[in-house]
Amino acid sequence: MSGWKRDLPIGLVVLAALIAAPAFGLPRFWITTVTVFFIWATVVSQWNLVFGVAGIFSLAQMAIFAIGGYTTAMMGLYLEWSLWLALPVSGLLAVVFGAVVGLACLRLTGAYVALLTLAIAYILFLLIVTDTDCVYYEGTVCRSLTEGWKGLGRYGDYGFRDLFGRDFHLGNYGLALAVLTLATLFSFAIVRSPMGLAFRALRDNPGYAVSRGVSRFKYQLLVFALSAFFTGLAGSVYAGVFSVIGPNVLQLGLLLFLLSMMVVGGVGRPWGPLIGAALLMLVDETLKEEAFAGYRNIGLGLILAAVVVLLPQGLAGGIDNLARRLARRGGGAPGE
Amino acid sequence: MTGHSNNPSSRRSFLKGTTGAGLGVAAASTGVLASVNQGRAAEGEPIPVGQGTMMSGWGAADGLEFKNGLEMAAEEINAMGGILGRPIEPHFVDTREGGPDTVIQAFQRLIDRENASAIICGYNLATLEAEYDVIADAGIVYTHTNTSLIHHERYNGDPDRFFGCFQTDPSEYWYGEGLLNYLAGLRDTGQWTPANNKIAIVAGAQNYSIVIGNSVRDNAQRYGFEISFYDTVQIPISEWGPTLAKVREDPPGVICITHYAPADLANFMLQFAPNPTPSLVYMQYGPSLAQFREIGGEAVNGVLYATVIANLQDERGNDFVARYKAKFGESSSPASGVQTYDACHLWAIAAAVAGGAGNPYDGDDQNRRVADQMRRIVHRGICGAYHFVENGAMTYPAQTNDPSLGMPHQFLQVQDFMRTPVMVGPQPYAVADFETPPWIS
Repeated sequence: MSGWKRDLPIGLVVLAALIAAPAFGLPRFWITTVTVFFIWATVVSQWNLVFGVAGIFSLAQMAIFAIGGYTTAMMGLYLEWSLWLALPVSGLLAVVFGAVVGLACLRLTGAYVALLTLAIAYILFLLIVTDTDCVYYEGTVCRSLTEGWKGLGRYGDYGFRDLFGRDFHLGNYGLALAVLTLATLFSFAIVRSPMGLAFRALRDNPGYAVSRGVSRFKYQLLVFALSAFFTGLAGSVYAGVFSVIGPNVLQLGLLLFLLSMMVVGGVGRPWGPLIGAALLMLVDETLKEEAFAGYRNIGLGLILAAVVVLLPQGLAGGIDNLARRLARRGGGAPGE
Repeated sequence: MTGHSNNPSSRRSFLKGTTGAGLGVAAASTGVLASVNQGRAAEGEPIPVGQGTMMSGWGAADGLEFKNGLEMAAEEINAMGGILGRPIEPHFVDTREGGPDTVIQAFQRLIDRENASAIICGYNLATLEAEYDVIADAGIVYTHTNTSLIHHERYNGDPDRFFGCFQTDPSEYWYGEGLLNYLAGLRDTGQWTPANNKIAIVAGAQNYSIVIGNSVRDNAQRYGFEISFYDTVQIPISEWGPTLAKVREDPPGVICITHYAPADLANFMLQFAPNPTPSLVYMQYGPSLAQFREIGGEAVNGVLYATVIANLQDERGNDFVARYKAKFGESSSPASGVQTYDACHLWAIAAAVAGGAGNPYDGDDQNRRVADQMRRIVHRGICGAYHFVENGAMTYPAQTNDPSLGMPHQFLQVQDFMRTPVMVGPQPYAVADFETPPWIS
């Protein structure tokens, strides 16, 4: 069994379980935590398209995420738009930003792409934190465009508080799950499409791929732009769920945490980022316990090192290999 | 806000009048709890109290002290009978490098899993006060020392909803105006003769630093100063060459560095010392940590710095420091631990007077009573007087000229890098006179 025949049933079972989970009394704390997981899983599933499938060492994903979040916040604050209206606009602006980043990286490969994209993210961070010039006054209080380090707030939310009252967090959970579901379907569709084949060809043997007529310009732009849409939506959801967005989302620690999710789960494998995000968030939550205080970085580092050494293709790769061996023993056809 | 003061009380008159009353209030504060408890032992059902604190990451040095402070306060309160016979039971969650998502998850865990009636924190990084919604939804009390104007914005946005959110120190804004007031006082009383009236501002690229830098910039003229340059540096920073080049090109009377990482600040002094300008050097917070003096050595003698929340160097403050160090070791930092220690005592007294602490998600009537008491009580803690306006503590002397109503904006100077810095202002709390830095004299 391979491809959609295997992945679709698994996906539907996982989705059903996640939809049903709150009905089985999942505490509010876990609902909030799983909502954050949905957001980060959306980001890494799209980052995986650029980094894993297309093999472009981009570190701009959180900058794209921030564009989505800030767009939503500014639409809500300055134009008084409903965040529901700002949601797709944020995705589209993220696409534009992603395409620009893709263009800037076109003549670069490998570590140079990482350096340039990291520089872009850092410049964005600096532009925000040093933004102190008043664009308007609220009474005697000076307001800058992005509100600098303290970030933007008071732009509203997705209205779940009015709709569900005390259970508003269920609305956030549902929205984040919906975006993750669409993003996952999208990334599976891309990977399994001719476009995905082109991405992989350019990753594995760019010279041969180009000689066979695969346009690097076209596909690099495409992968940056397409993956940016759901990343921007994730930023928008984050801004609506937490009702604030600040430059902290551009900090290196968070970027590396998300990168670790991809590495642990399996770079380039569609299930990889989701498995990695779930595992690392679970471990991270466990290590927040007072008893483990101080062991968080060590714990995450050990997991990362163990996976790199023992499972170089990540957990998803390990599961695939195991499935193949079992299939061979059972005489069945190997999975994908 | 009771207005700005350029004329703080003298130490002698305050000792004659207010200090006695202040100590009386202090004694009364702890006495209130014991008397409301009427001799009961803390044997009832425990009241969970939460703290989301930085137990890992670069803020852990402060975060672990916040944990110590809450544990120490809980022990003392329980020894006095807890809250109407119910002991308080602290629970902790690591908030690491902060951010709204991390802090909100931590608080949600404390409320849902531990059933926390109150969350008593020091500061958390980059929360943007997003956690206020979690507190408001649960209807509990939350104290923090984020030292941020954002508190006032959030609270004023909906005071009824955020009734339980308290900032137990003044916002960072007052550092700027307070510094100018202090410098003007030194100048006007002849304790310091500035080389000129210029101030060079060097801010770290972070909200806290920038707000303070802006406050100095925006108010300098009112105090007779002018800004020679305003530099924003990326942090962390160890190479200060470009900044020092600007300083040396046009030496200012004051160098005001609003970045606060101790190692970075010590490096500034090490690079400044070989070719100093006749400038008074002011720094933010970092010199209060031993690391600053260990790295900087003799080069840091003469540095002036400030804090709006730390133990005073008076009888009660010294007693607290001795007890804290006896409990947590000589290398511990009471100046950080005292933040949650004071807040926990304040909350416990208010809860006892209000008839007990309320539970989360159980209607917020009882916790509203507790919050009301917190607003009514003027609590003389180890850091000074806690009196809330807009649910934020006031600072003395910039916000109020009454030292019994505000937390002193403490100015300290490293006069001997081998010893703890001494408090040189404001009166009546200062224990030493300001000394002209060695590179000027």
